[in-house]
Amino acid sequence: MKAKHEDAVVKLTSVFFQYEEKVVLENINFSLERGDFVGIVGPNGSGKSTLMKLLLGLLPATKGTVELFGQPLSKFRDWSKIGYVAQQVAHGAGGFPATVREVVASGLVGKVGLFRRLQGKHHQKVEEVVERVGLTEKLDQRIGNLSGGQLQRVFIARALVAEPELLILDEPTVGVDQESIEQFYELLRSLKEENGMTMMIVSHDVGVMTQWVNKVACLQRKLHFHGSAHDFAHNHDKILQQMYGDSIKMLAHHH
Amino acid sequence: MLADWWQYDFLRYTLFSGILIGLICPILGTFLIVRRLSMMADGLSHVTLSGVAAGMLISKKIALFQAVNPLFFGMLFSVIGSLFIERLRKVYKSYQDLAIPIILSTGLGLFTVLISIAKGFNTDLYSYLFGKIVTVSKEDLYALIGVAAVVLGTVFLIYKELFAVSFDEEFARVSGVARRSINLWFMVLVALTIAASMRIVGVLLISALITLPVAASLQIAGSFRQTILYAIVFAETSVLAGLYFAYLLDWASGGTIVLVAVSILLIVLGVKKIKAALR
Ligand SMILES: Nc1ncnc2c1ncn2[C@@H]1O[C@H](COP(=O)(O)OP(=O)(O)OP(=O)(O)O)[C@@H](O)[C@H]1O
Ligand SMILES: [Mg+2]
Repeated sequence: MKAKHEDAVVKLTSVFFQYEEKVVLENINFSLERGDFVGIVGPNGSGKSTLMKLLLGLLPATKGTVELFGQPLSKFRDWSKIGYVAQQVAHGAGGFPATVREVVASGLVGKVGLFRRLQGKHHQKVEEVVERVGLTEKLDQRIGNLSGGQLQRVFIARALVAEPELLILDEPTVGVDQESIEQFYELLRSLKEENGMTMMIVSHDVGVMTQWVNKVACLQRKLHFHGSAHDFAHNHDKILQQMYGDSIKMLAHHH
Repeated sequence: MLADWWQYDFLRYTLFSGILIGLICPILGTFLIVRRLSMMADGLSHVTLSGVAAGMLISKKIALFQAVNPLFFGMLFSVIGSLFIERLRKVYKSYQDLAIPIILSTGLGLFTVLISIAKGFNTDLYSYLFGKIVTVSKEDLYALIGVAAVVLGTVFLIYKELFAVSFDEEFARVSGVARRSINLWFMVLVALTIAASMRIVGVLLISALITLPVAASLQIAGSFRQTILYAIVFAETSVLAGLYFAYLLDWASGGTIVLVAVSILLIVLGVKKIKAALR
């Protein structure tokens, strides 16, 4: 079964998820069209990372269906179409004795395929992507010698190297400096324009993120808002207020 | 003295076995250590030991099994142990290293009980514990050649998958890597390697050969590939020098090999310290 062009890239229908007793996601209906760039907003513990993991098949939905490129998750095999940058919770990766080049190249593992070795064009692609995230002079350094923000850029490069059609980014800009964040969003925009990549990004930096995305989804167990970034910007205070309560006011007025 | 190594069959077998062990132990060791599973080798070696004891007991009691090398029982137990560890790692997700003491004490418990049932063995158990040159037979060598071929073939064919799974299991999964099968296969290889290596370095010291060369290599390697390469160089040096001195001085081969490996580690740490001080 091949994915038809008009199929949604991601489609969640009445999805529920719970960890033992605790309901984390409730009746989520959500879809992404080709070329969408959607930002996910929500307070800590609202289920954003859980949602990402559900649609990557890392967690099984308690109820409801998840489809990727028009296929139910259980049948989906085209994993090289998807790039993922996980939320980095103080990972111990720094001590791993690998270079930037080796880590980024590991992003090609699914695309190249079992029993095959990387070829010249793959190595070239690795260097290209590393240059795009601005780490060329660190290419052959051990990742233990990088700063937190640089390491984060390595993970971004690893997700990009296989030229995925869908890119899922869970707080990718945490620890990345202001200037590099701008560059990062520029990079995402150019990828979207060049390859029509579909992207989904979680970020707490609502002000910056909403300037770049074209759709916003607000999550707090349920999906509170799902619409264009334009509509979001107009009702922005009200939506956030409703979701976060008063504590968020400062953040909401920040941009 | 050196000519002896070519003249006598058992010494030649020992030498070849040593070279093979020095190649595969550090390769598997590198993957184990970066996944923080270095104690796995310890756990499995004790299970292997109980397998060897079981093999000896069976060949003593049942005539049919008299000719069967206890090594094969060691392999069997070790592989079962490795499957069990994989199972336990899944049950205790956030305490993955808990699987190791569980399996280790099971192995040791079983071992002592089997010995007491047998009321001691006339075969030299000491050699399985600590390694002894003269006990390496042609059959042992063939078993080791088989295991080494499988290990090297696997690493050659699925190096990138092994790397991806070791570095970031979740990402590997999202890339469509069959991480369960790879993990399982890898553990089986570790189990087989331990069983096949024990005649030379002995069960109790095999984990040293899996970890010490890698520990030294981690200090100086600039990449993952280099980590493996240096670890092989250190392991081969330990094995060759260890065997040579063990034969020359009539020491236990396993212990001598480990002492050389420790010396290399100390030298690497020392040199690194001096270099840092001079900078
Ligand atoms: N492994 C787990 N077991 C039980 N509960 C969990 C587990 N992981 C997350 N949770 C719970 O699920 C809820 C959603 O977690 P999730 O990680 O999806 O939140 P998030 O929106 O990504 O938060 P953050 O902004 O902090 O990253 C939280 O309340 C959390 O307590
Ligand atoms: Mg999260």
